Amino acid sequence: MIDPALFDQARDRIAVAGFTPEIQSKIALVLCATKNGNLAFHNAMQWLPNLGVVQQFTISQAARELEAVTLLSRTTQWASNPALALDANRIVAPIVVAWTQIMMPPGPMFDPQSVYRGISLGHAQLARIRLNAVIPDDADPLDPFVVALRRIEQENGRMLQTQIRLLKNVGGDIPLDDREQFVERDQQLVDGVMNDFLAWLAAP
Amino acid sequence: MPTAYFGHHQVNYELVGEPGKPVITFLNGLTQNANLWKAYADHFVPRGYRVLAYDMLGQGRSSKPIIDIPLATHADMLDDLLTQLKIDKTHLASISFGGIIALDFAIRYGKRLHSLVAMSTFAELTPQLELLGAVMVQGLTDVGLPYLQSMLYPMNMSSAWIAANRERIPAMKRAGYIGNDGYAMQNLMESFATFKPLTPDLHKIKVPTLIMNGEFDFFTPRECHEVIRRHIANSRLVIIPRAYHAFTLEMPAVTMRQIEVFLDQVSKGRWQGDQSVWIASDDPAATEQWQPCAGDWMRAVQVADKTPSAMPARKRPSRPAAAPPPPAEAAAVPNPRKPTTRRKKP
Repeated sequence: MIDPALFDQARDRIAVAGFTPEIQSKIALVLCATKNGNLAFHNAMQWLPNLGVVQQFTISQAARELEAVTLLSRTTQWASNPALALDANRIVAPIVVAWTQIMMPPGPMFDPQSVYRGISLGHAQLARIRLNAVIPDDADPLDPFVVALRRIEQENGRMLQTQIRLLKNVGGDIPLDDREQFVERDQQLVDGVMNDFLAWLAAP
Repeated sequence: MPTAYFGHHQVNYELVGEPGKPVITFLNGLTQNANLWKAYADHFVPRGYRVLAYDMLGQGRSSKPIIDIPLATHADMLDDLLTQLKIDKTHLASISFGGIIALDFAIRYGKRLHSLVAMSTFAELTPQLELLGAVMVQGLTDVGLPYLQSMLYPMNMSSAWIAANRERIPAMKRAGYIGNDGYAMQNLMESFATFKPLTPDLHKIKVPTLIMNGEFDFFTPRECHEVIRRHIANSRLVIIPRAYHAFTLEMPAVTMRQIEVFLDQVSKGRWQGDQSVWIASDDPAATEQWQPCAGDWMRAVQVADKTPSAMPARKRPSRPAAAPPPPAEAAAVPNPRKPTTRRKKP
């Protein structure tokens, strides 16, 4: 589980410091890394045979993840400190490793479990990485970075609908219990990353 | 909070109070969590009870499945949790979504209950409730969790509460946003797609049952509670004056007092389940907590009986006969309608 107090600590820190280039860079690095994983997965999944209407869903998910990454990259005031990228890589490593395992051959094209795992991890990211709660109450609502964060979070909610439908309707060959366990394990994985991420945001 | 397991799902619970004392189990509403019953534990533990509160699947810190949790699973899970905690029987108090689970539990696992308190809840989806539920799901899925939260505050709370807490609401919404997961709530709501009305089985509930309904609850209005009252022989309906849907949060002192009065009657063998209807006192310190409901409890306005014998004797008005009576006079006419059920003071 994500410790709710960490949201408060991160928000308090941002309320004092503002959305500095360092804080913006931390957020953008972690969000982009996770979204790129889901983007790559949906890019691959769209070529699965006999997808039918699901193909439209996966293309749409990939396009929306690309839009989010692009929006964030362009609105972020990037800090010049290269250590931030190293720290971000360390924090987000468990998710990057998980995406690598999913995409590794035989991968989604040939392994139904990889397909389900990818949908499950994408769902966990969209559901659990939520940054609305770290935006201070008095943040400028027209600040481009704030606008981008809110826009991405709102879009995440909509993308979540597709993930939910996919989780409920894809993977019928995998026993229900196994599917539920995939989902729960991925949520715990993302929660762990989110705890570290929030602690990093809260750090001076 | 300690954790129990139901299959591979985690269930976080809090059980406080001395072992051996009678247990009261509280069931949450849809967007609630076990922490919200802490004030109730603080109230009832010193009065000789143990209090069990837990997050149902999909809530708080318990597992949040996405794929499939039928509504009936929640009652099965409560049965399993009680077994794991070595609780043979419990009093069961519940609100809203938890109320449906409690009714289901009382129907299928009634032997595990001393008594039942069902607050702001329903046994079947009235057409109005069905459409409201559909709007809630649509709001959650098409707009998002913050929208649903914004929608629920005015639905659940009074204007007075909102005015008094306006500055705290953003922080409360934020805490709710962090603690709840839209997909888990959606899964809970979507389980109603296969919901079968509990009404035909309500007669199987034999334990003392207190039904509580806020006077102004327009989310689960009186008709929902009336169905429960009519079908459970060993029940009473208590209306909480000036209360809305979430009166356990808005009026905790009043609610705790009503539950306390009920449990006291049950434990001392003074409970009379006669399907009668009462009005709760809005003063928890009042000696008499329940007053008989005079009039038609299904109406929001009390209509005067126009039969001549029912009208109080009045002097012939000196004004022209066509002139309407002043509003104060009209309001002063006592309501002669009698309730269909006779009741005794508790």
